[in-house]
Amino acid sequence: MPNLLEVRDLAVKAGARTLLSDFNLDLATGEIVALRGPSGTGKTTLLRTLALLQDPAAGSLQFQGEDPDQLGYPTWRHHCCYTAQVPAIFPGTVHENLTRPFAYHGRTDQYPADRARTMLNTLLLEDITPDQDADRLSVGQQQRLALVRTLILDPAVLLLDEPTSALDPDSATALEDLVRQEIDRRQAAALVITHDPNRTNRWCDRIINLKGQPA
Amino acid sequence: MTGAADIGYLDLAVASLLVLAAGLVSMFLQLGLGRRLLLASVRTVVQLLLVGYVLQFVFGQGSWYVVLGMAAVMIVAAARAAIRRPSRTYRGAFRQSFFTLLITGCAVTVTVTTVVIGVDPWFEARYFIPLLGMILGNGLTGISLGLDSLLSDLVDGRHLVEAELAMGATRWEAARPRVQSAVRRGLIPIINSMMVVGLVSLPGMMTGQILAGADPMEAVKYQIVVMFMIAGATSLGTIGITLLAARRLFTTHHQLCLECVHDQES
Repeated sequence: MPNLLEVRDLAVKAGARTLLSDFNLDLATGEIVALRGPSGTGKTTLLRTLALLQDPAAGSLQFQGEDPDQLGYPTWRHHCCYTAQVPAIFPGTVHENLTRPFAYHGRTDQYPADRARTMLNTLLLEDITPDQDADRLSVGQQQRLALVRTLILDPAVLLLDEPTSALDPDSATALEDLVRQEIDRRQAAALVITHDPNRTNRWCDRIINLKGQPA
Repeated sequence: MTGAADIGYLDLAVASLLVLAAGLVSMFLQLGLGRRLLLASVRTVVQLLLVGYVLQFVFGQGSWYVVLGMAAVMIVAAARAAIRRPSRTYRGAFRQSFFTLLITGCAVTVTVTTVVIGVDPWFEARYFIPLLGMILGNGLTGISLGLDSLLSDLVDGRHLVEAELAMGATRWEAARPRVQSAVRRGLIPIINSMMVVGLVSLPGMMTGQILAGADPMEAVKYQIVVMFMIAGATSLGTIGITLLAARRLFTTHHQLCLECVHDQES
């Protein structure tokens, strides 16, 4: 399988503290890789760094053979899209939240309304209407809405920070199945922070355990 | 009446009885404002008397370097005041505030003195200093409100800004709604005062001119110029500072960089 993302000798920092160093990763198409480890080992910081929301302290990153400077940082993030554990919901309706990223670069007419609706239904959000106030949804509903917003952007690499942390088991299973289906269909890949060993074994192809650096 | 009625020091003392009355009411109601009212009154007298002497000196000199020297002091003071009012600030804010006020203040004041009023020379202290003062006074309010709004949006809404960047937004696309909202907030006071001017209150400058014996229509014309001048300078200043701040707080890698932001006591 060709690699989508190649990470070499990466070091990540939180402030002045190095959380991780000499980290290497080859993420191939069709893969879902679990990222595990105790709190404070730099899992979230690693995902944020792979999304280039912060610069690596050392090392190199390549997406399909191109580095961030060649690709451009916004384009990189379009391909390697990070979804935070705490869902980022903008003031406004469900529809406004889903269409918001399509406004970047003036792509509003490319918003796939039917696909978004199908995904919401798959994630057991049949009752949610587009004109509903997104702020008033539960955290679990917001978490699924944020994931659908990411999926309809068709990123090649999903960087998911505990995407099922606020979900009941049925919703979590539905979300995992949807992500697997999208990865297979589009030959994409995912790196997922997860804690539940049973769930990890169910939907991930392999596991990376982070041990972290001594403080 | 063709000139202002003379005000003697005895008249000033009588006027101070009004503040004294307010102080007595404060004491009676235990509002705890007595000391602050006293301090504010003393500062008003001292500061205005000092300014009076300085203005007398500057008006008497008539040299461009004296006028520009005083203008520089006023801009530095305004730039400092502008960044002290928001609950947060960032490294480099003073420099940005200074340049914003320098450019908008001088550009608008010089335009008004040369093109609109036709003063010769353009740095005539009697016009240049009061006009610049009005621009800076209003401009710093716009800058303060604009910065306060932008910094609150970026710091408190950091996860939203980063979500936009994470989904492929450029730094400008992520900053734009916050900049728009900051500019709107910065312009609220001047737009409000333009909407009600003459209906709810007579502006201080116009009132002063009328009290000093000027023809009301002349005073009105000056006031219109002043309002437009303030609106223009405040708009440009608020837009300028929020764009500069946004540029400072996002990196060229399109990342939000808040390490340089810190809280400050209001």
